[in-house]
Order: sequence, then structure tokens, then C-alpha cells
Amino acid sequence: MSSLQIRHVRKVWQGARGLTVEAIRDVSLQVSSGEFVAILGPSGCGKSTLLELCAGLEPASGGEILIGAERVTGPNPKAVMVFQEHSLFPWLDVEKNVAFGLQMRGTGLNERWRRGREVLERVKLVKFAKHYPHQLSGGMKQRVAIARALVGNPEFILMDEPFAALDFQTRVLMQQFLLEVWAGFKSTILFVTHHIDEAILLADRVVVMSSAPGRVLEEVQIDLPRPRSMTDPDFNGYRVRLTSHMEREVMRAAEVE
Amino acid sequence: MARAAAAALIPWLILVALWELASARGWMTTVLFPPPSSFIRFAIESDFRVGFGQEGMTIPVAILASAFRVVAGLFLGFIAAVATGILVSMSRAASAAVLPIVRGLAPIAPIAWIPVGIIVFGVGNPTAVFVVFTGVYFLLTLSTVAAVQSVDPRLVKTARTFGASRAQVWAWVIFPAVLPQVFTMLRINFFAAWMAVLAAEMVGLKNGVGMIVILGREMFNPNLIMLGICIIGVTGYAVDALLLFVQRQILWWKSVE
Repeated sequence: MSSLQIRHVRKVWQGARGLTVEAIRDVSLQVSSGEFVAILGPSGCGKSTLLELCAGLEPASGGEILIGAERVTGPNPKAVMVFQEHSLFPWLDVEKNVAFGLQMRGTGLNERWRRGREVLERVKLVKFAKHYPHQLSGGMKQRVAIARALVGNPEFILMDEPFAALDFQTRVLMQQFLLEVWAGFKSTILFVTHHIDEAILLADRVVVMSSAPGRVLEEVQIDLPRPRSMTDPDFNGYRVRLTSHMEREVMRAAEVE
Repeated sequence: MARAAAAALIPWLILVALWELASARGWMTTVLFPPPSSFIRFAIESDFRVGFGQEGMTIPVAILASAFRVVAGLFLGFIAAVATGILVSMSRAASAAVLPIVRGLAPIAPIAWIPVGIIVFGVGNPTAVFVVFTGVYFLLTLSTVAAVQSVDPRLVKTARTFGASRAQVWAWVIFPAVLPQVFTMLRINFFAAWMAVLAAEMVGLKNGVGMIVILGREMFNPNLIMLGICIIGVTGYAVDALLLFVQRQILWWKSVE
């Protein structure tokens, strides 16, 4: 198991007519094996961009990202991304969605089927193996998306606001589910959210990012025993601390606009 | 399904009943507008054969000939357009070279291609297939290019994070994602293609259901004219129902939710 190191990373988007947008400025972050890290920041702070850089979907404009000793230069089976809703392939059933990565990497049909079943059993979705995404609820779709990430045994799961489109009740259940998965599969999770409570509830450590261009403002270790409760007074302590940061950044972002 | 079909049939039954009533009461000139009871009896009495000598044909063969032409033309046009649209979208240079020409050719009515088809392919099936093909090919190529641009970028990113190469993204994500949208355009353009086939049969091919109407005119046989018109309507409806079936049962998914 290796760690993820983000070193002085910068990302500038080249827009039309020579316009450039600096999405991230000099971000450094270290995530050790087995850790659950939440990245918290206002909308448009470059936190999703940061994940895409880690996943190798986009090249960094400066700095470097290392997984273990290896520099990230492209998509990597060790670090896969889970997006918001609607990232399942609507023309594939659950089983084929889950096995998609294996298929792309040339795994044989039998092996794909076996590993797909194994993961679906662990996330309790075997009954829905032959269902298509449009036949599933929002929460189930995200469970499939997580199963699809787990099937290749990645060391890192990079989650980009995976529960943002879900209703409150489903979101609570999914957070529970994710913690179980994390405990069971021992993957390292980097979780982007703009939800303060979600970050405190899930993560070992919360990284607060500034509004654009994104920089790391603060790292907060969450020393609460699991299972955590949002009604815990200590929980509230973290909430107050992170909320004041977020408020300031949201106001700053609004002024820039 | 059966109930919907029955519901669609009722207005037709009423129309036919009114037509028969108007003919029986003498409100309409049956010589010029024979009612169904008259032209259907005519078809049965003439043993489902129309025309004489070289122009003679049986009605089922005429229907199959016309339906074959339009389905073959649509099928080839669809495949070629999806292939062209995708290949052209893969390269900016190819788009710049090919799309202006396609855009210029797309507005030409399929009927206008009939003389060209007859000159190039002579009088026969290839001309009819060619006319249908040109009637849909250019339009569908443009709609494939538009569909490629509207593919949800999250699906592409998802595929890439799971290790799909550029070629695999085109084959496994963009290709299935654009099929339903392009097929919907195919169905919309089917009627123009169907009319073009009939026109080609009337002016050049001298067989198929279009020819039934022309034979009726040449022999001044209103029964044959009305029979031809009804067969054209029913056959066109049947092919459209086939396309609708393909759309609903085979290419049912949406790539953008």
C-alpha cells in the first residue's frame, strides 16, 4: 500500500481566445494509506479539478503527484474516480457497469463475471445484477458506481461529491454504506464535498480549500470515535470551526465575482 | 400495446364507415372516389395482381419490393452516417474538410437525387436504395456529429478513469451514446425517404407500390388508384412501427439525463 503525495500542484485551464483560468495554486497534500480524507471548499474552488489531476484525467500545469514512488501521468488502476450521479453507462446493466474497468483492461469474461459477483455480493446488489441504471434509485446507482470502483481493488478511491444529488435520507444511508465499504475494503479515500457535516461525519482529516484559485487553507484532524453523530457536542465544535472558514471563503468568492 | 393499437384503429373505422355511407347515399362520386368495399373487392377479384405483361406484378411482391428498398436504404444510410459522423468527429482537420460539404448536400430533397440515381445505377433496386440513402445520409451525419458533442463528459471521464484508451472510449462510450439520438433522427426522416422511394417507382422503376398508383392513372382505374394510396399508407405505417419498435426495444437508452 502506498501513499498519495500532491506536491506544489498548479492547474491553469486554457480557455477560448487566450483566456486562462487558474483553478489551483500551489496545493500540497499528503494522504497516507488507509486514510479517509475529505476536501472541503466552496463551489468552484478547484477541488474537483484536484481529484481529476490525481486520477490522471488531466495533466497538472505545475508540480507533481506521486502514488507511492510513481508519478501520475495518466489514468491509473490504482486510483479511480467516482463521480456524482449519472455516471453509470445507461446502456449497460449493473453487472456490466461494474465490470467495465476489467473489460477495458482485457480481463476475460469468466473472471469478469466472478469478480463482478463478488463485489455485488459485498455491496448487497446481486439481486439487481441484471437491472439497468434507469430502473434503480439514486442511492442504488451510487452503490453501483462505488462497486464499479471497488472491483479493480484500487488503492485510492477519489470521490467527487458522490452524494450531492441525493436527498437527505438517502445521503445518510449512503454515508453509512461508504464507511462500511471503507472499513471492509481498506482503500484510501479522497472525498470532495462542499458539505461541512458530511466531511466531519466521514473523514479522518478535513482539508479546507480556499475559493478560486484553490489553495489549502487548513487541515483539521477529526478526533471523534466512530460511529459519529451530528448531535455530539464535539461534532459541533468542529462544525463551528469549519463553518467560519467556509463562510469567509464564500464571501471572498462572491466579492471576486 | 394491443390496447393502444385498438385505440388507434377506432378513428379509422369511423372514417371508413363515413366514407362507405357517403358512397352508398350518393354524396360522393364513387367513380372517382371508390370506397374501401369497392377497391378491396377489386383487389380480391383481380387475384391481387395489377398491370399486364411486363408491368404486371402481384400486390404482395410490390409491397415487399418497396419496403425492402426503403429499409435497405435507411439501414445503409444509418450505418454509414454514424461511421462518418464518428470518424469525422475524431479529428478537427477531418471535420473542417468534410462537414461543409455535408452541410451543403443535406438540404437537397431525396427526390432530386432520382435522376442522378437512374443515370448512375440504371433502372432498378440500387437506384431506389441510393435515393433513400442520400435522403438520410447527410442529415444523419450532421446529427451524429451533434450527438457526439452532446455526450455527457462524465461518461467519458468515467471510462477513462477505468482505463479505457481513446479508441475504447469511442467504441464503448461515444458510439453507444449517440445511437439512440441518431436513430430518432432516422425515424423523423423516414417519411421523406418513403416518399422518395414512391416517386422513384413512379417515374423510373415501374414496379413497387408507387407503380400501382401510376398504373391506375394510366388505365383510368380509380379502384387501383385508391388501392395504391391505401397500400402506401399502410406499408409506410408498418415500416414506421418497425422503426419505433427498434427505438423502444433496442436503442432505448438516453445518453444525457
